[in-house]
Amino acid sequence: MQTLTAGRSLDALVDRVYTLTEGTLELDRSTLHRIARGQTRIARAIDTPEACVRLYFALMIVGCEQDLPVDAVVQEGRAVLAGLIGDPLATLIIGDLERTLPKLTDLRTLREYLEEGLRIWLPK
Amino acid sequence: MAAEVTLAPRAESNTLRGQEESLRAYLADRLGIRTRIAPLPGARALLVSGPRPEHPKGLVIDDSLTAAERIYLYVHLAAHVALRHNVPVMTIVEPRGEATSDAPVHRDAEELARAMWWGLTGDTALAALLPSRRSRLLRALLGNALARTLLRTALLGMRHAYYRLHMTALAESPLTAALRRALCVTAVVCVAPQLARARR
Repeated sequence: MQTLTAGRSLDALVDRVYTLTEGTLELDRSTLHRIARGQTRIARAIDTPEACVRLYFALMIVGCEQDLPVDAVVQEGRAVLAGLIGDPLATLIIGDLERTLPKLTDLRTLREYLEEGLRIWLPK
Repeated sequence: MAAEVTLAPRAESNTLRGQEESLRAYLADRLGIRTRIAPLPGARALLVSGPRPEHPKGLVIDDSLTAAERIYLYVHLAAHVALRHNVPVMTIVEPRGEATSDAPVHRDAEELARAMWWGLTGDTALAALLPSRRSRLLRALLGNALARTLLRTALLGMRHAYYRLHMTALAESPLTAALRRALCVTAVVCVAPQLARARR
């Protein structure tokens, strides 16, 4: 989380996540602060696996916006995902990421993938 | 979120663009695939599937591709879907070069796309859209690289003459329609010659 904020405040990160997810995450600042400090792995305010996946995609897009190296974005993403969602869905998502991410070698393509992923997981 | 990019204003054949449009509508209406065009330096296309089969799928196509290349990709991806490669939470990456890790999957889709393109199998709604259906003569001609180049040059020459000489009286003639279809099929096979390969 500290890598993703890149020196900015967590509040700015929360605002960006809110915008990216079109307000569909009920993510309050204190929850994100707790996650960032490692005090909770399962965010109390995020109670569906779908919402966790949206948070994952949004955080990864923020990583791309910080111009982090692709590897750093991918590693952060894995850590976030493994901590946030339950086993069956995490296995599916991580399985897809394991297959897909090695094929996305540049930041722009990775970002388009993440944005499409987020669109797909947004509630209709 | 990056803004969606509309189709690049290329000087491309209206027949190809119209064909592409109808295939894109087919993907959306029949297969639940929403398409958008965006810069993808590292791939030709990404098909991202949602958590459930009935969930809409998202297709991102690289904006540097021509209409003919996009048409080929739509048919190829329709083949992936027909083969049920797009299971939930699964992303299909169409690479720029040869696929490596999942080469067999792409090979199977290629095989089916070829049959679909010539109207030999698959969804009848898709077959009805394709200008190439049951074109045995064209298929035979386009299977040869030299014949393919010559045919394309001849068709482009005729198209040039048509516009240069303002032969609009022929616009609705069956011959013009047939030549348009032939140019469309030839353009697509020129960017994806594997479509004209002989059956195994």
